[in-house]
Amino acid sequence: MPVKEKSDIKVGKFSVTISNRKKIYWPDEGFTKGDMIDYYDKIADLVLPHLKGRPLSLKRNPNGITDKGFYHKDAGENAPSFVDVFKVKAESNNKIIDYIVCNNKATLLYVANLGCIELNPWNSTIKKPDNPTWMVIDIDPSDKNTFTEVVDTALATKMILDKAGIKSYCKTSGSSGLHVYTPLKNKYDYEAVRNFANIIAALVQEQLPGTTTLERSLSKRGPKIYIDYLQNSKGQTLASVYSLRPVPGASVSTPLEWKEVDHKLSPKQFTMRNIFARIKKKGDLFLPVLNESNSITDALKRLKV
Amino acid sequence: MRAIWTGSLGFGLVNIPIKIFSAVQDSALDLDMLDSKDHANIKFKRVNEKTGKEVPWENIVKGYYMDNKYVVLEKADFEKAGPEKTKHIEIKHFVDESEIDSMYFEQPYYLQPEKTGARAYALLRDAFRKTGKAGVALFVMRDREHLCIIKAKDDVLVLNRIRFDEEIRSTKDLDLPSVKSKPDEVKMAVALINQLSGPFDIKKYRDDYTERLMKIIKAKSKGKTVPFTPMKVVHSKTKDLAEQLRASLSDKRKAS
Repeated sequence: MPVKEKSDIKVGKFSVTISNRKKIYWPDEGFTKGDMIDYYDKIADLVLPHLKGRPLSLKRNPNGITDKGFYHKDAGENAPSFVDVFKVKAESNNKIIDYIVCNNKATLLYVANLGCIELNPWNSTIKKPDNPTWMVIDIDPSDKNTFTEVVDTALATKMILDKAGIKSYCKTSGSSGLHVYTPLKNKYDYEAVRNFANIIAALVQEQLPGTTTLERSLSKRGPKIYIDYLQNSKGQTLASVYSLRPVPGASVSTPLEWKEVDHKLSPKQFTMRNIFARIKKKGDLFLPVLNESNSITDALKRLKV
Repeated sequence: MRAIWTGSLGFGLVNIPIKIFSAVQDSALDLDMLDSKDHANIKFKRVNEKTGKEVPWENIVKGYYMDNKYVVLEKADFEKAGPEKTKHIEIKHFVDESEIDSMYFEQPYYLQPEKTGARAYALLRDAFRKTGKAGVALFVMRDREHLCIIKAKDDVLVLNRIRFDEEIRSTKDLDLPSVKSKPDEVKMAVALINQLSGPFDIKKYRDDYTERLMKIIKAKSKGKTVPFTPMKVVHSKTKDLAEQLRASLSDKRKAS
């Protein structure tokens, strides 16, 4: 049966219109927009718990990965009725932004159809928008770093967090880095979490002064891995777990077991195509990030800082 | 303490017989190199690079490589270039010590008068103290002429060797920023500096590496081993942040 350019997907009582299914999104692999939609259709049950209740910053690449794409936050206004919306007053101009909140599969497919290859949910939910569910350390290499150095930085982060008595979870960013998450169950506000992340990042940087930096400015960063703790701010987002990335290979941000975080790991080994076999075996390794909790107060004591 | 130089110090018509002592000591421990197998001392030998055979001192000369060959210098050549041997330090003029950039400072020495020079020494010292000035002079030690300043520090006259200008490297090869800082940022940085400013108290800073090493040596000589504690580097910035975070967390607990 030939693939139709335009079609509707039925999701319960809703119907989501999908357009331009045949548009090439990943030219090297020949993957189309339709392939992407099908991926999110198939992964929906797994990814939705990680998106539920979280305002989404849309990063749209309607022309595939070769195009730079654009950010689109205020997308809720003209959205279909099945899309939930969260209103946020922008601090800069007092304008009300209608964020899309991805609470159901229909919404997921709707934003996928808008060209959102990547899913960027907030770290907090609309119930407690000022208190993030987790702390995240984004280990973001320059193009001069090897992935081995990225792995070593993630392991140093785990070492420090272990010392702090804090449980952490690692995932590939889907691109060239790694993300380390610590579940906090909305107990602390963004400022406290960010300050704690700053302490952790500084301690990691002290362990690896030759390869890592806390320098935010790209020009001053040099050939080093940026340990980014500033993502722990309201409205800042990283690619969600199970999110595709607009990079060659159609790689997926994939949760890892810590024992897999070693020098054999490759940042793009998990893709749209092979992730399902892995999930069948491992289940959702990132579910504890939504449910577990850790104490920053105890961590500070244990770290003796 | 052993004097390392004996001579006289003069300015104008006054002439003070003095001795020079080193004012500094190395705080590092004097460690010997040993063979790990039998703890025999390691000895250095000067060997001929070509033959590998040891060369006695009397056969060693110094040479300068120029135009593809060595120009060998004899003792007489060094003497010709060397300063006139003199055992006198003449203060030529006086300056404010603060005018001399700290980059120029080298080794400091103490000056002590011979009995006959005590009165003149005290006079010069007290005059220095009163004016806050320092004397600039040249003096010859170990066949080389050195530039120095002489100043009073408490009860003692200190001779501080200073570098000649040609010993200071130019900064032209450094990549230095030419951007102008934003006035607001400068204001903030200045406020921070002022906040952290205080009198300089050298006693607040200690080099305790030697002390720790000595502790280990003493323990080892008694057969004990010292448990290894890795260096704990916590930047004060991290500490400040932790302090701030702890305070904000406990505030919130009280509030809720």
